[in-house]
Amino acid sequence: MSDFLLWWRLALRRFAVMLVKELKQLGRDRVLLAFIVYAFTADIFLAASGVSLSLNHAAMLVQDMDRTPQSRELAARFAEPHFQQGGVVTRDAQGLAALDRGEAMIVLSVPPDFGKHLQKGEPVAVAMQVDTTNSVLGFLATSYAQEIVARFGLESAMRRLGLAGGAAAELPQAANEVRVWYNPNQEDSWFMGISEMLNIATVFAVLLPAAAMVREKERGTVEQLIVSPLTPFGILFPKVVSMTGVILCGVALSLFLVLMPVFAIPAKGSLALFFALSGLYVFTTAGLGLFAATIARNLAQAGMLSILILAPMLFLSGAWTPPEAMPAWLRGLMFVSPLHYYLDIAFGILLKGQGVTELLPAIMGMTAIGVGVFAFGLLLFRRQFD
Amino acid sequence: MNLKRVAAIASKEWREILRDRLFFSLAFVVPALLMVLFGYGLSLDVENIPFAVVDQDRSAASRDYAYRFIDSRYFSFRGYAANQRDAERALAAGDVRVVLVIPPRFGQRLAQGREAGIQTLVDGTFPSRAMTTKGYVTAINAAFSLASVTQAVSRVTGMPPDDVAAQLTPIALETRYLYNQSVTSIWSLAPKLIMVILMLSPPFLTALGVVREKENGSIFNIYASNVSRGEFLAGKLLPYVAISSVNILVLWLLATLLYGVPFKGSLLFFLPATLVYVLCTTGIGLLVSVLVRTQVAAMIVTMVATMIPAVLYSGLIIPIVSLGPGARQVAELMPAMYYTDIVVGCFLKGVGLQSLWRPLLVLSLYACLLFAVGYALFSKRPKT
Amino acid sequence: MNDEIVIRATDFGKRYARHAAVCGLDLAVRKGELYGLIGPDGAGKSSLMKAVAGVLAFEEGRLEVFGLPVGSEREAERVKGRLGLMPQGLGQNLYGDLSIEENVDFFARLRQVPAAEAAARKERLLAITRLAAFRARPMKQLSGGMKQKLGLVCTLIHAPDLIILDEPTTGVDPVSRRDFWAILAELIADQGLTALVSTAYMDEASRFTRMSLLHEGRVLAEGAPQDILALAPGVLVQCRVEPQLEAISRLAADFPQCEAMGPDIRLFAAGLDEAGARAAVAQRLAGLPCQRLDVMEPELEDVFVAMLSRQGAAAATAQPVSAAVANAEGLAIEARGLSKCFGEFIAVGDVSFQVRQGEIFGLLGANGAGKTTAIKMLTGILPPTRGEGRVAGADMKQAGALIKSRIGYMSQAFSLYLDLTVAENIRLYAGIYGLDRRRRDSRLGWILDMAGLHGHENDLASSLPMGLRQRLALGCALVHEPRVLFLDEPTSGVDPLGRRAFWDILFRLSRVDGVAMLVTTHYMSEAEHCDHLALMFAGKVVADASPEAMKQEVIAEAGQLYRLQADNAAALVRPLQEHGFANVSPYGAALHVLTREPERLRKTLAGMGVPADLRERPIAMEDVFVHRVSQLEAASRKGQP
Repeated sequence: MSDFLLWWRLALRRFAVMLVKELKQLGRDRVLLAFIVYAFTADIFLAASGVSLSLNHAAMLVQDMDRTPQSRELAARFAEPHFQQGGVVTRDAQGLAALDRGEAMIVLSVPPDFGKHLQKGEPVAVAMQVDTTNSVLGFLATSYAQEIVARFGLESAMRRLGLAGGAAAELPQAANEVRVWYNPNQEDSWFMGISEMLNIATVFAVLLPAAAMVREKERGTVEQLIVSPLTPFGILFPKVVSMTGVILCGVALSLFLVLMPVFAIPAKGSLALFFALSGLYVFTTAGLGLFAATIARNLAQAGMLSILILAPMLFLSGAWTPPEAMPAWLRGLMFVSPLHYYLDIAFGILLKGQGVTELLPAIMGMTAIGVGVFAFGLLLFRRQFD
Repeated sequence: MNLKRVAAIASKEWREILRDRLFFSLAFVVPALLMVLFGYGLSLDVENIPFAVVDQDRSAASRDYAYRFIDSRYFSFRGYAANQRDAERALAAGDVRVVLVIPPRFGQRLAQGREAGIQTLVDGTFPSRAMTTKGYVTAINAAFSLASVTQAVSRVTGMPPDDVAAQLTPIALETRYLYNQSVTSIWSLAPKLIMVILMLSPPFLTALGVVREKENGSIFNIYASNVSRGEFLAGKLLPYVAISSVNILVLWLLATLLYGVPFKGSLLFFLPATLVYVLCTTGIGLLVSVLVRTQVAAMIVTMVATMIPAVLYSGLIIPIVSLGPGARQVAELMPAMYYTDIVVGCFLKGVGLQSLWRPLLVLSLYACLLFAVGYALFSKRPKT
Repeated sequence: MNDEIVIRATDFGKRYARHAAVCGLDLAVRKGELYGLIGPDGAGKSSLMKAVAGVLAFEEGRLEVFGLPVGSEREAERVKGRLGLMPQGLGQNLYGDLSIEENVDFFARLRQVPAAEAAARKERLLAITRLAAFRARPMKQLSGGMKQKLGLVCTLIHAPDLIILDEPTTGVDPVSRRDFWAILAELIADQGLTALVSTAYMDEASRFTRMSLLHEGRVLAEGAPQDILALAPGVLVQCRVEPQLEAISRLAADFPQCEAMGPDIRLFAAGLDEAGARAAVAQRLAGLPCQRLDVMEPELEDVFVAMLSRQGAAAATAQPVSAAVANAEGLAIEARGLSKCFGEFIAVGDVSFQVRQGEIFGLLGANGAGKTTAIKMLTGILPPTRGEGRVAGADMKQAGALIKSRIGYMSQAFSLYLDLTVAENIRLYAGIYGLDRRRRDSRLGWILDMAGLHGHENDLASSLPMGLRQRLALGCALVHEPRVLFLDEPTSGVDPLGRRAFWDILFRLSRVDGVAMLVTTHYMSEAEHCDHLALMFAGKVVADASPEAMKQEVIAEAGQLYRLQADNAAALVRPLQEHGFANVSPYGAALHVLTREPERLRKTLAGMGVPADLRERPIAMEDVFVHRVSQLEAASRKGQP
């Protein structure tokens, strides 16, 4: 029994000194430290504040060849917040040039005699040219335009037919009230901020252990450790734990200093659960960094390998591309990306207020993959010295 | 500047890169792989959105309404939910992204010629997806409403429904999609990916290369010789610019051949302009390398510092015009957005120097500035 | 000699963040001089050299090179074309992935040497350094000696007027070292260049035209080697007295610089002449039988130690320790047919030896002979291809924490954490080996004492000079009081004082605590301390005996050792060899000749008209090593022409 206690005391002491060593080494690298702070604060702020994928103020030009009250009314319905009238053009070429230069996204052309045809109930066509370089925005612009045109047409038809005084409310139509949950104002900053935070955590989770390990190999200090009574696990574990600690501090920094106060992210669920699962995620993902460190002979190689690992992870996380939109083979791959599960967990806890029961499948998935990845990294690390 | 010395340093550097087989191959593999991966993996198209229906009305009208969604290729039907609670749970779990709630007396109200409300719950975690979904919902709802109104009017006026429909939609919107006729996102995406990848990879290679020399001590050969700072930097960076230049071609081929993106502009303009951009991003790497001392720091700093500007402040996902005023200023400070104009202009719009001289000029100035700062900060006689 | 001043420092000073590395230093190097900088670790040698080369900014005083001030980057640029710098560290400024030829070509192109001139000079330099045969080999696969020769070639490719070499022979084996100096001497004589060189080997210092002894950033003494020798007059006494322990304790009272060297005692009798020294020693040893007593000229190393001791630097206190091996029970280290192949290359082939508990075992060999690989296999870092290595009866590859906590290892390259402070490094290893707080603190104090690191506790390891780093590394290897120690070139780059202190500790550990040690070293004076030596050549053990037995063997084979002092002694090597004196090698500025026919040697020299001073000296391990390795190299060259 006392042997057992002694063993634990020794193991704990070793763990403690190695942990202190790792933290001190990190702390001494001022540039790196400053950058970790930058990444978790300013970088996330930039990501969260810069981006909005909704159609806002789409610059639009009108080529009104009719110049009647009807044509003017139609054009006026393309209004804020989705559209922004950028003036009129008189010739086709003018509109095209503006589109080419990227000054306008939409050019609406109302043909001559538009008002006349409308009055008579004759079909009339309105042309719209859309810059669809960004396909999502192109789609949104089209669908908003269609809605505006249809409603305008319907109202003027009803008026002409003398039905219901043109008031749409009294028509037998479906009024669909769309309610967006978890992010009622569709704040892109919530999504961008959180997903950037997770991405940064992932980048550091892979890079920091990889860099630290390769540095020990390059300097030869790892030999000193191998000769000591430390086991490979005893070398790796404190390293990964300390990096996990640092990254969790970073996550806390961005959550409490940037995301919650600046962008009013609600953090509905249990923060303790969020940090616990983040810790688990970062810890296990470090296995990938160890994998890169094992293969690489120098830091440059380790860096390139890390990118090779990170890029698919980030892009298969489901943050950018919904699983539904991916080809089947990629969708399969997504389920082995631990970030995919972590994403569900983070959004689940922070925005949806979910707890362990709702997140159980994601937690299980992340744990299973993470443990596998870490075990793999550990195995490789051991094997390189045999 | 003595070109022979530049050549000496460049060929030495080139040999070293060449001997490090893994590094050398990764320098080409990583950009190509990113292109393939992003191309397939980064799609903003939204289709097959999983949804559930809570039909509290169970009338012909409610079934008809639901069928319009079930039939749509944009939605993928996951079944009727017994009650709203179940449906909300499915939404929370992420099993469905949309829930359609049709209240009682939906059919009855329509039959009475009155407006009938419907509720759609959309998962807003991913705002762009939610936005697109809303667009789809609005379109399907409009089609249903039109049919419903048409029926009613036809009943009142006795006109045939087809005529009524024509009367009620007097205006047709003829939409012409410019630059990207089929609205496939890969066409708009692939050229911008060239921008992103050339933002990420050259600084990374450069920073590591320069800091490696600093860290292992061979930089003293340079310090102790009469090679000028400019000669050293030029020679040192040349191989990395060369690698990136090859990558330009590789990426261009991937975009045109693999993704079939039309290239409407002139290669004679595109290639030199891209080279200017590569010089610019290489300059970022240079700047990082004179500021940091260790390769670890060089690696992480370049990675984090280039990723966000390249992805978010470049026009990759959001057009610059749609950015908020603050964000727009940030974007204008970064080189990426200027190159986006060039690459999109060359690929999709087929425009050349006449339209794009301005961004090209900015990029050139940017490159000059970065090199000037890197040059000024690099010292052959450091303090320690 | 030309009186033109090439380097002039006036009141020169260099500060780093916390401390002054150099202050108020004055120095003048004349054209054509081989000017030496010697001094303990951290004396400011490297800082001065870097500042002269124009690669380090400094704050105080004035520095002129070729008569031009080098106070700013712009000013420094003007002289860089005419100088060459070889920084400290084996192959540090070379490119590992490039071949010998590519390295040289790069430097030639960098320095804009016209192609024809560069090609001619390259061929000549590669021929002189005997690197021509390996021109396609990547630099990283060269031995330490070859790396340094290549470094020299690269530094000289643009025919500079001034070369600055920072400890060019540190970590290089004695044979390659002599080779290096011979080449350097030839080139300097040939091209009339000026050289500023630092070294930790005092025998090399005797080759300098003039030198400065630096201490704590100031010049302590300056002059030609004989001037420096004259600063601490006295003679060197080497005697063999039984019982050694008793004799040492008696002698140490009068002669602070007294140490055991194998069975002999070596002491510096300060201020005495030969007769005085004999009398003083005889008086002290009254009653003890003296088997042999030689009185010799002191070496620079003795003077160096004497002068620094006067400065209050901690000199080695020759503590009397029992010569007998305490509890010599059991095998501590055992290699049985140990082999390691890297592909086709056999790094270590079938090596066997045994080290008993309490024994100091020296593993000698030229750079690249396989010593480090053997140690890595024994410590379990590398798996052997064949055979096995056991430590305390266990195979290290499978050894548990218990066995591992009984061994200490100090690797060749400084492998501590540079970004941790001295105290943090020690505490870290104390913790890894499971020491509790009390023991940790007592060991921390012990290591600081032992390594002379007091006052440096909170300095980052990266800010320490080479020698102090090595001592810290040793301290960390000893923190847990291991029973078995593996030391791979532990004193490489450490100054003579430090080395003496170091070996004093090792000696005590083995004799008092019964620690078994396996040591490799390029300082042959250290090999004398070993109980037992193995000489490795090309991966094989070619000799395994005590130092004394090895010496006797060489004497039996080649005769007694004579030191020949003459002007331009190096030029006599070839003529003497042609006269049938096969075993002639340069030693410092003198020659060492092994011969059975001293009279014929005298006559031959007289016949050549060379006024020479020839004296018999006790053979040293250095002579044994040079003799054996030169022999083996010659044989292997014959084997594969």
